[in-house]
Amino acid sequence: MELPILFGVRHLSPAGAWHLLRLLEEKRPRLVLVEGPCDLDPLLEDLVRPGTQTPVAMLAYTQEAPVRSILYPLAVYSPEYQAILWAHKNGARCRFMDLPSEVFLAMDRRERGEGEGEEDFDAYKELDRLAGADGHEMFWERTLEHTTASGAYLRGAAAFGRSLREVTAGREADWPENLVREAHMRRVMEDAMAEGYAPEEIVAVTGAYHLEGLKNAAPMTDREKKALPRKAAGFTLMPYSYYRLSSRSGYGAGNKAPAYYGLIWEGFLRGEPDYAARSYLSGIARSLREEGSPASSASVIEGVRLAGELARLRGSSVPVLRDLRDAALTCLGEGSFSAISRGTARAEIGSRIGALPEGVSRTSIQEDFYRQLKTLKLEKYRDMAAQDLALDLRENRSVKSREAAFLDLNRSFFLHRLRVLGVSFAAWQPVQQDSATWAERWVLRWSPEAEMELVESALKGDTIPQAASFRMKERVEAADGVAGVAGVLEDAFACGMPEAVRYATGALQGMAVDAASLEELAATAQRLSHVVQYGGLRLLDPAPLIPILQQIYLRCCLILSAACTCDDSAAGGVIQAMERLNAAQLAHDFLDPAPWLSALSDVARWDHLNTRLSGFAAAILLERGAMEPEELSREVSRRLSRGTPAELGAGWFQGLSMRNRYALIARLSLWQSLSDYLDTLDEEEFKRALVFLRRAFADFSAKEKDSIGENLGELWGLNGQQVSEAVNAPLAQEAQEMLEGLEDFDFDL
Amino acid sequence: MADKTNLQRLPAEELFQNELNALMAAEKYPVPAGWRMSPRSVLTYICGGRAGDTPITPKYIGHQRLVEIAIATLVTDRALLLIGEPGTAKSWLSEHLCAAINGDSTRVIQGTAGTTEEQIRYSWNYAMLIAQGPSPAAMLKSPVYRAMEEGAIARVEEISRCASEVQDALISILSEKRISVPELSVEVPAKKGFSVIATANTRDKGVNEMSAALRRRFNIVVLPSPESLEEEMEIVRSRVEQLSAGLGLDLSAQLPAGDVVEKVCTIFRELRSGQTLDGAQKLKGTSGVLSTAEAISLLANSMALAGSFGGGTITDRDLAAALQGAVIKDEDKDGVAWKEYLQNIMKKRGSRWLGLYKECAELL
Repeated sequence: MELPILFGVRHLSPAGAWHLLRLLEEKRPRLVLVEGPCDLDPLLEDLVRPGTQTPVAMLAYTQEAPVRSILYPLAVYSPEYQAILWAHKNGARCRFMDLPSEVFLAMDRRERGEGEGEEDFDAYKELDRLAGADGHEMFWERTLEHTTASGAYLRGAAAFGRSLREVTAGREADWPENLVREAHMRRVMEDAMAEGYAPEEIVAVTGAYHLEGLKNAAPMTDREKKALPRKAAGFTLMPYSYYRLSSRSGYGAGNKAPAYYGLIWEGFLRGEPDYAARSYLSGIARSLREEGSPASSASVIEGVRLAGELARLRGSSVPVLRDLRDAALTCLGEGSFSAISRGTARAEIGSRIGALPEGVSRTSIQEDFYRQLKTLKLEKYRDMAAQDLALDLRENRSVKSREAAFLDLNRSFFLHRLRVLGVSFAAWQPVQQDSATWAERWVLRWSPEAEMELVESALKGDTIPQAASFRMKERVEAADGVAGVAGVLEDAFACGMPEAVRYATGALQGMAVDAASLEELAATAQRLSHVVQYGGLRLLDPAPLIPILQQIYLRCCLILSAACTCDDSAAGGVIQAMERLNAAQLAHDFLDPAPWLSALSDVARWDHLNTRLSGFAAAILLERGAMEPEELSREVSRRLSRGTPAELGAGWFQGLSMRNRYALIARLSLWQSLSDYLDTLDEEEFKRALVFLRRAFADFSAKEKDSIGENLGELWGLNGQQVSEAVNAPLAQEAQEMLEGLEDFDFDL
Repeated sequence: MADKTNLQRLPAEELFQNELNALMAAEKYPVPAGWRMSPRSVLTYICGGRAGDTPITPKYIGHQRLVEIAIATLVTDRALLLIGEPGTAKSWLSEHLCAAINGDSTRVIQGTAGTTEEQIRYSWNYAMLIAQGPSPAAMLKSPVYRAMEEGAIARVEEISRCASEVQDALISILSEKRISVPELSVEVPAKKGFSVIATANTRDKGVNEMSAALRRRFNIVVLPSPESLEEEMEIVRSRVEQLSAGLGLDLSAQLPAGDVVEKVCTIFRELRSGQTLDGAQKLKGTSGVLSTAEAISLLANSMALAGSFGGGTITDRDLAAALQGAVIKDEDKDGVAWKEYLQNIMKKRGSRWLGLYKECAELL
């Protein structure tokens, strides 16, 4: 059986692309077959549209969970891409000939990775060993990437593919898969010849590895074709970036330096073999200059010469990347790589990002995105420049239709959903506490990255709400605590997705039963409380949340006193939790105040708990009018009696003074008790107490201290003026020394 | 010519005459102007290989790429600057490069604080100058001058130790590639093949910082310490072998066993990097550099000790004495570091190290 003209390439190979173009020009085939999933043929048309700019990638993905995908990145120097372009320009037909993506996705293997993965990784390790310091990538580049001799590339690549096959035959994991693929490609060729294309009218572009296999494979029969496993798959074209290409090209042969390969391709087009070397080194020199270090043209010239000599030492006439990088290191970096690292990153990887013209084969999620942009009148924000957007979530009563009335609310839903999906189009600017709850601020900026992120979200669902809901489900499943789920719940509310709210609520219910710390529960209660309070604004019924908030609230009340047995470093967290719970209770009538107040008064009265927390509990009770003045003065004198260690008394006072200071300051009886307490202390005890009281008063403002001084002055029969002067006067030398002496105070006494 | 066998140290080109001749005889590649062999043969000479039937011993082990860069630099007639910690074989590499390229590694200027501009350019035989006036015969040519005339490579050792005006004298030579002698109103252009290999020590940084103008005229290659223990052991082993055999040092002792070399290299590497080889434990480093070169001389020393006063093989006792001498440069600080090392690391290494540990501990 006769075979079409086969051209074996290395994927992402500039020399391969150039030699392939020359072959196509010479043979002028009527049909070009390209290695790629044959069900992706519809993408060919989009690939050659005028607005399409490489790098782009073809993405095929399963329609159902678990989502798996395969990715075929194409750069301008991909032989496959150039073949497709040539066919388009010269009126030849073009088809993909590999197994359909449905089959690839259905094949049983743990992780396909992205891309072909066709070459066995170990074979490349072996090659690394043989190539010595150069490694396989440099070996390739040195041997094949710069060759201009006609036929040399084809022969070299074929020899390489053949040896690789001999070494790995039967040993690699995807060996059987390769055989199946080759049989399928042969079948496509047979079919084409049956259609009436003569073998010499067909050029087939394939990985060099497959050349031998294709020669020997028998075409796949109808029965075999039917027996292939299949999984429903979707596919799309997406913009790609050189950065991604370099970090995860997916091809076994790798493509670490796409920008540099782009330079080689340019060099081929210009017919200047040393173009890449010159541009690479002057690119690094330019970056150095931009960073402010001197980099002369003379150094660049020396670099080019040095790289040339390094190549000659290895028997090649054109320097490869390694030679160039070492030359840059020596001539531009003065021997230190850190000096040129940024320049090399730019010259090797670069920041190029592909683009697709409007309307080109979008995934359904992209279509959904653009449709929503239009309905929500957000199209003008699809711009590279960042723009602010302020939203008012309230109903706009001056317009007639419901859509218009809630336009901003719907925009908010939409943007929150994107945020949940991790699409970097909209950045949420959290609003300050004091401003209105119905306002939201966003900064919108469009970038190709956002488009890529959007396409990747296609794996999660067909529309933005679907994908967002899937993402939130994932987060709930991965959450390791109540607070994590509560965060999802909040997001679900922000996104206006009742179903996700229900789902998260259920999960939360299950989790809240498990033991959790007071701090975490209180944080959860606060989040839920916010949602219940402001959920109405987002037109969602918060009712399902009420039972769970009640449950968490009650639980907090029950474990409060236990949580108050802690040291001072942990007390801060408990105080925050108490504040949150108090706020939540005050905000909602359905939270019964009784258990909360009783828990607080337990904490306030019991002596074995952290005194600062006891003081703080008393402060809350006082503020809420749940503690009588007599009770307070009783507590003060008890807490500040002579028997109690001074630090405990002062700690209690500190806790007490953390809230409603004005009320405290105005309460003369309190200061009377404090004054009485001080009178009872002997000198040593006074010094001790002074240290802690100083700390307790440390965060009072000057004005507050003044008022306290006035109070005490009144008790001691002094007038306010005198006290204020005494308190605010600079410390006398002697007092200063005494205070400094206190710093050495031995607390262990 | 004096009898060479009783010289303390022969220049590289004489020591490795056979290898150089074999390489030149087997030459297959084009030879640059002014060179005696092709760049590839130079590489073989330095990194080892074969020339026809003659095996070529490696002179510089590890980092072949750096040698490639150095050779390629000299092919482009650029000057080469080798930078590195003390004892990273900068001078060694520079000597062998000259030996292979020119067959003459003796055009050397030793850079010191006392080096003058005349030593870089030329000076005069003053008796003759006063008697006859300036004439070529009265002129004393510097190694750089001679190298320019002959189209060869001159070496400047420890360039960063020279005063900056002396360094400046090199700038014009390297950029103009000619030297002018106003006294004789002539200008001597450099022949093809002329270049300069300079070495500089990173520990001397800041003594006389090289000007940007001068640095720009050099291609700079940084020589690192050996990458792995195996590599360092290989360097030490082969150098000690060469020292004892090739250089005719009659130490009448056996070559150190691999075990001894491994111990010395391990101790040196650990103290140099401030952590154990497996990276599991931090330890205090010493004030000295403890370079590979020191390890080599330490072992040669121990061999001398063993040969002269002992049974011919290096015992743990010999090694302990030599180690202490090498490690403790600054009595107070290094003494503490060494003691800590013995107690915390060496003592816990098990029976293979026990003998050495005991001897070391005894000496303290």
